Amino acid sequence: MTPTEPLPARGPAAPAAVRPPLPVKMVIAGGFGVGKTTAVGAISEIEPLTTEASITEVAAGVDDLTHTPRKTTTTVAMDFGCLTIDPTLKLYLFGTPGQERFGFMWDDIVEGAVGALVIVDTRRLDDCYAAVDYFEHKGIPFAVAVNAFDGTVEHALEEVRWALDVSAGVPVVVFDARERGSVRDTLLVVLELALARSES
Amino acid sequence: MADGSAPPGPDPVGPAPAVRPYLVTAGRVADAASGRALPVETQVVATAEGLFALGGLSFEQHDIVAACRLPQSLAELAARLRLHLNVVRVLAEDLREEGLLAVYVPDAEATHDASVLRRVIDGLRAVPDSPRGTE
Repeated sequence: MTPTEPLPARGPAAPAAVRPPLPVKMVIAGGFGVGKTTAVGAISEIEPLTTEASITEVAAGVDDLTHTPRKTTTTVAMDFGCLTIDPTLKLYLFGTPGQERFGFMWDDIVEGAVGALVIVDTRRLDDCYAAVDYFEHKGIPFAVAVNAFDGTVEHALEEVRWALDVSAGVPVVVFDARERGSVRDTLLVVLELALARSES
Repeated sequence: MADGSAPPGPDPVGPAPAVRPYLVTAGRVADAASGRALPVETQVVATAEGLFALGGLSFEQHDIVAACRLPQSLAELAARLRLHLNVVRVLAEDLREEGLLAVYVPDAEATHDASVLRRVIDGLRAVPDSPRGTE
C-alpha cells in the first residue's frame, strides 16, 4: 500500500509526531429525512458531527444567452461520522445534504469516495432519483438501501428496482438505518462491489 | 441536522458564524467548484514546530493547531471549531505553508486499492450487532 504523503511544507517544517490514518470515504445519500444521519450514527464511533459544506446547484433551465446551465454554490449542513479500522486506516461516512431540487453536485464531498449508499423511503421514491443518477453518472459503486422504517416495506424490491431503473449490477436491499448490524451489512454490500471493481 | 435525528452530544454543531471566518482568510475561500479543493477527509496534524509556536498564534490559527495535536480530518476540524469547511481549507493551507501543520491529502489510488478495501471489509465485519448505548 502506498501511504499518503504529506504535502511538503514550505517553511522549516518538523515532521508531525503522529502519523494520521489513511482515510477511506463512503457517501450516504438520499432524500431529506430518509435516515442518512441515523445510519451514520448507528455505525459511527463518534456522535455524528455537522459541518457546513458547499454544493453546486445546477439550475433546471439553461441561460438563454449562453446556453449553459446556471450554477450557484449553496452552503448546506453535512453530517458525518467515522470508524477506526486500525491505527493506519479509518472509514469516514459522509451524509450528502438532503436536496430534492432538480440539479446539484456533491463533487466537493464525494470526490475520492470508494462507494455510496442511496437510502430510499418507498413512500417518497422520487426523492432519490437525483442521487441514483449522480452516482451512475460518476461511476461510483453504489447500492440502493430501502429503509424499512416500521418493519414493513410497501413495495417489493423488484418494484423499487423497476421504479428507479437502476442497472442489474446495482444491489437493491432492505435495511434498518437504526440497527448497527443492518447498516454494517449494507455498507459491506457496497464495499464488496467496490472491491470487485478494483480487482477487475 | 439534515435528518431530524437526535442531536449529537458534546460536539458543537450550531451554525457556523458567517462573517468573521471570511475576514480571517482575507476574503479567500477554497474553490470548491473546481474540484481542486482539499478533500473533506484530508488528514491534518500539528507539526512539532506548530505546537512549539502555539503560544504565539492567535484566534483560528491557534485553535486549529491546538485541535490538531491528534490527527483528524478537515471535516472534523471544521465541525469541532464551528468553522465553514472552506475556511478551514484555506487556513490549513496557510498553516501548512508556515510549517505548523502537516496536511495529508488522501491518495485515491491507495484508498481504492483492493488490499485496503479488504482491510476495511474485514474491519467492518468485526463490528458487533449491538448498539453502543441503550435505544
